[in-house]
Amino acid sequence: MMDELEEPHPDDAGLERLLRARLPRHPAPPRLRAALLRTASPPPSRTAWAMQWMPPLASAAAMALIMLLWIAPRLPNGPLEPVRLLTHAVMSEHARTILWGESRADVVPAVLPRAMEESGVALSLVFVGDDAIQLVNAQPTYLEGRRGIQLTYRDQDGHAVTYMILPAGPLVLPDRGRVQIDRWRPLVRTEAGFSFIIWKQQNFLCLLVSDLVSDADLAKLEQYFVKVRSSTEPYQVY
Amino acid sequence: MTDEDFLRQALQHLDALHNLAVYLTRNGSEAEDLVQETYVRALRFSHRFQPGTHLRAWLFQILRNTFLTFYRLRERESPVAEEGVPEREAPMFQDAPLQDTERSAVHMDLERAFTALPEEFKTPLLLAEVEGLALEDVARIMECPIGTVKSRIFRAKERLRALLKDYGGGLEGLTR
Repeated sequence: MMDELEEPHPDDAGLERLLRARLPRHPAPPRLRAALLRTASPPPSRTAWAMQWMPPLASAAAMALIMLLWIAPRLPNGPLEPVRLLTHAVMSEHARTILWGESRADVVPAVLPRAMEESGVALSLVFVGDDAIQLVNAQPTYLEGRRGIQLTYRDQDGHAVTYMILPAGPLVLPDRGRVQIDRWRPLVRTEAGFSFIIWKQQNFLCLLVSDLVSDADLAKLEQYFVKVRSSTEPYQVY
Repeated sequence: MTDEDFLRQALQHLDALHNLAVYLTRNGSEAEDLVQETYVRALRFSHRFQPGTHLRAWLFQILRNTFLTFYRLRERESPVAEEGVPEREAPMFQDAPLQDTERSAVHMDLERAFTALPEEFKTPLLLAEVEGLALEDVARIMECPIGTVKSRIFRAKERLRALLKDYGGGLEGLTR
């Protein structure tokens, strides 16, 4: 190899000349030069940046703080999450009952024993209604892995009220959102056009749901709650 | 030296860098990307550049290393032409140039022959014979001894001559 290098080819000079003279050169396009100049243009100084963005940043931070303080009390805390799941499931079941469920008070004596038998939730005492509201259906149900019983009432204005009794298990109701009603302190919530009153009774989780959402209607629902709460005694059959 | 000063000096070598990038990538837009990446890296590491040393060689070195790192891996996956032949392995000089277009085809054919050289031959030949860099600088760019650079340039010329022989008069035909 070194011998070869020590003896240049006779055409070397011609080839070198050819390369320098004839090999096309590819100068950079002007846009590349412009792009590189842009790349290196110094960014605005940190101080200028801070001065420019400080007012909107401060404003945004203040707004975020206000929103946080306003929203925080309304946010569900940890233990409420299973309750939210249940309320959503109960909401669906309530809507289905309104659309498709039986609403004949005369069938209740026949269907109630069967609902208790199939649900495993027996009722030693049950509120069947009065002048304001009437029990119109009873059926077993299965929500979020809990088998229970669902009682359907209809008030004199035609509002459906679903009363769900499910095994509570280890579920803990949060303190936030509790409302004193008569001698009880259940959880009261309004969501997606429905009102919920949720409480624990013995080992059961009980939910009352209806589309009574205005203040006047909610007061009615609280009255219904007092009636069913004081006149219903569930117990676990198995 | 500020970034702006550094860039102003570095941009004096933009055409040469772009020229090498085109011969390495064989693709105009990739060459531009390669040059841009080279300058970005040069600016990022400008504090490592020692004023008074050969900026042109340092930039060539960054460009070549960038090419080897990012572009050569991709180059191994040769695109396949419609006929099923890898585009970059298409046979060169398969048709003899017509007499009346011979002179005008010289540039194109020399370029194609040069482009066909392997990178380790093409780069030192271009840097030394076309850009006029000293062999010491080429060795630094290629990160190899000067003897290896000389050997590669020698072999590059041999290969180039062999490729150019496919033209009727060979090198003589091109230089007349």
